[in-house]
Amino acid sequence: MRDLEDQILVQRALQADPESFGELCRRYYDSLVAIANSILPDHQLAEDAAQEALAAACRDLAKLKKPERFGPWIGAICRNVARDMLRQLRKHQEPVEAHTGNQPDCEEDEREAILDQALQQLPQHLREVIYLRFYNEMSYEQIAKVLGATEQMIDGRIRRAKKKIAVYLKRKGFRR
Amino acid sequence: MKQENDNQWLDPVLEQYIHREPEQFDFDKWAENYPEEARMLRNGIEHSSRSEKTKPYKIWRFIMESKVTRYSAAAVIVLAMAVLLSPFGTPGNGGVVLADVQQKIADTETMIIRGTKTFMRTGKDDEVIEINGLRCEFDLVKYSSKQLGLVEEGSVDGKLIYRITFNRPKRQAVLVLPPWKKYGAMAATDEQMRLMENLSPEGIINMLLAGDHKKLGRDKIDGVEVEGFEFQQPDLFVELFPKPIFDIQTLEGRAWIGIEEQLPIWVEGDFFFGKSLLTLFNEVRLHEVNVVDKYDVELDDRIFDTDVPEGYTEFGLSDILPFIPTEAKAGAAAMGIIPAGLVFWRRRRKKKL
Repeated sequence: MRDLEDQILVQRALQADPESFGELCRRYYDSLVAIANSILPDHQLAEDAAQEALAAACRDLAKLKKPERFGPWIGAICRNVARDMLRQLRKHQEPVEAHTGNQPDCEEDEREAILDQALQQLPQHLREVIYLRFYNEMSYEQIAKVLGATEQMIDGRIRRAKKKIAVYLKRKGFRR
Repeated sequence: MKQENDNQWLDPVLEQYIHREPEQFDFDKWAENYPEEARMLRNGIEHSSRSEKTKPYKIWRFIMESKVTRYSAAAVIVLAMAVLLSPFGTPGNGGVVLADVQQKIADTETMIIRGTKTFMRTGKDDEVIEINGLRCEFDLVKYSSKQLGLVEEGSVDGKLIYRITFNRPKRQAVLVLPPWKKYGAMAATDEQMRLMENLSPEGIINMLLAGDHKKLGRDKIDGVEVEGFEFQQPDLFVELFPKPIFDIQTLEGRAWIGIEEQLPIWVEGDFFFGKSLLTLFNEVRLHEVNVVDKYDVELDDRIFDTDVPEGYTEFGLSDILPFIPTEAKAGAAAMGIIPAGLVFWRRRRKKKL
């Protein structure tokens, strides 16, 4: 049903109906921020990436061959935008980080640093489902929609991701 | 079991670390940050040429790089563009009148347009270009059909000089030059068809709407009350072609819309072209006047026929070369526009003679 609605919204957006595109943006914005946040280190940057992904989608909307697959399509765009931003970020930040380092300076920071490392050691496709699941309490159905996967696949990925995180945190002596 | 146990402590940890309150996406703010994209959405992405901006370049690559390239095909494409790029539509900012005009044009099935097309050298007032004794000052008739395509006939002193036909159902473009019994033809690919569609009267209007304009006030043409608009240099025209091929520098136009009819009555425009292959390396000003003769009349299918008359031969690069100034040929060859071998071979042959 949601696929059909997306299809109609895409078709309307193509025919001079900005509000339809606005509705598509509202539907997917949070998912896009979550996807971008699973790649980028900063929430603000993730929002920028999501907005840029929406602009890129707008420019290329006429090329979308299956409008009912808008969700996975814009998800992929967002992933690429975020990766590009990360590349740029690394280019500019590496020399600074080499000098300053990133040493945690209190217990809370240390916990967060370990958690961050636990997430970073995950393969991207597993990290992404974790962010989608916990960023905005998305249902498996919603996650499946934006990733173009089945709910069973999402369930499997979340289980594997959590298992890896738990093992890592325990190994690092993470205090529950 | 173990996984369930882990979930008990891990879920709250992850939620605390990752969770954020849902944010309301502000579409208006996004549109402010991305004005070009917002404009595309308002104009309709299917009809917007921005997303098509790269397509002319792709077409040029197709024409110039293909092993089966024929220069006649290149000329047909360019002339078809020139026909379609004429100041056919009307500019505006979506005001009450223009919004209706845009819709009416979109709803109009057929049109017959008459007018003139004059090619002049820039910097030399009113000096009409002559090629082999032919003054490039044409009387025009255009037939436009939403279903069948577009035809432009150019005549001098009642004698037909060129006729270009863009047949939409057949996806063909044909240029015939009766005085020389020459023709050029090409079949359009899907991509080229989409580009052509973009350059339909409706597409042209959408492009013009993207440009700057000002109101000229009310006037009367042949007793018909009209409102005038002036428009200048929509970027989309200017960036339509690679400059070495076709350098559209500026466009100025005026359109008068019938108040009652809500349709263009008189449209005139001036294109300024820099030195490029398509202007035979001259700086050229094209002044065109289009007067809409009839709307929604029945047009015979045969008008859009693309059959080439008997006895015509296809024109090629050798037909164009004599008109290119010698000094421009080397530059054109260096840019890869025309084969260097052909230029220099011809120069050597000339010396022997």
